[in-house]
Amino acid sequence: MNDQERPEGIGPHEAPEELSCEESLALVYEFLDGELPAERNEAVRRHVQKCRRCYPHFDFERIFLDYVNEAGRAAVANPDLERRIRALIAEDEA
Amino acid sequence: MDAGDEGSEKREVEISDDRRREFETEALPHLDALFGLALRLTGGDEARSEDLVQDAMLKAWRSWDRFETGTNCRAWLMTILRNGFINSYRRDRSGPVKVEFEEIAEGPGSGGLYDADPEGRVFDRLVNEHVLMAIEELPAEFRVPVVLADVEGMGYQEVADTMGIPVGTVKSRLYRGRKRLQASLYRFAVELGYLP
Repeated sequence: MNDQERPEGIGPHEAPEELSCEESLALVYEFLDGELPAERNEAVRRHVQKCRRCYPHFDFERIFLDYVNEAGRAAVANPDLERRIRALIAEDEA
Repeated sequence: MDAGDEGSEKREVEISDDRRREFETEALPHLDALFGLALRLTGGDEARSEDLVQDAMLKAWRSWDRFETGTNCRAWLMTILRNGFINSYRRDRSGPVKVEFEEIAEGPGSGGLYDADPEGRVFDRLVNEHVLMAIEELPAEFRVPVVLADVEGMGYQEVADTMGIPVGTVKSRLYRGRKRLQASLYRFAVELGYLP
């Protein structure tokens, strides 16, 4: 919000930043990643809590990120790799 | 060789045996985790991943004296592997950089996964392999920040420092990388008949 839009007599501290849906959605990842400065973070949170359009969208992105985080971890190494590493270490020592 | 030399040699062998046993108990159990990280970073290249794990383990073994027992061994090993990968990644990048400008539907309301499945129900049906495949399909410039941030849980600054790129670039690559992931998952879901 710029100064012209702000009602007279209300300074920046009394008028918390109001974000539009577009502005909030553009910040969805920075918000969910916890990367926004405190004031911005608060402005997004306020908008999302009362916005019926943005709330489900933020919820969806949160579920998506949790899902990627969980699924990305599973893997099993070939047992042969461990044998090779043990041999390498023993050899390196000698 | 006199008796004294023989004794000290024996002690040395014992010490190095202990050191190796300690390494094997502390470090080797993290092999799967390391391999998993390598697979994510390389986009599913198993041979390259095994090489990365092997190099990281050898490096860890050689600097085992510097590892402080009781601190997080897994995190220490992951850092060694990540550094090894990033070094080779940067070397590969030192030639002319191929930048992909191809854009796909990624903004809100542009026909993406959110519009098709706003509640994210499809995430209950797709399995880990689908995410892994989707990650593998990402070009490296998107895959690496996505893996570091979303799988490893790094913050933007840490990703930027690790990759040697500005934070703003991390932000935009994460945004685009995640949207590409969603587009791939959407495609899998349609192919499997979970979504129309």
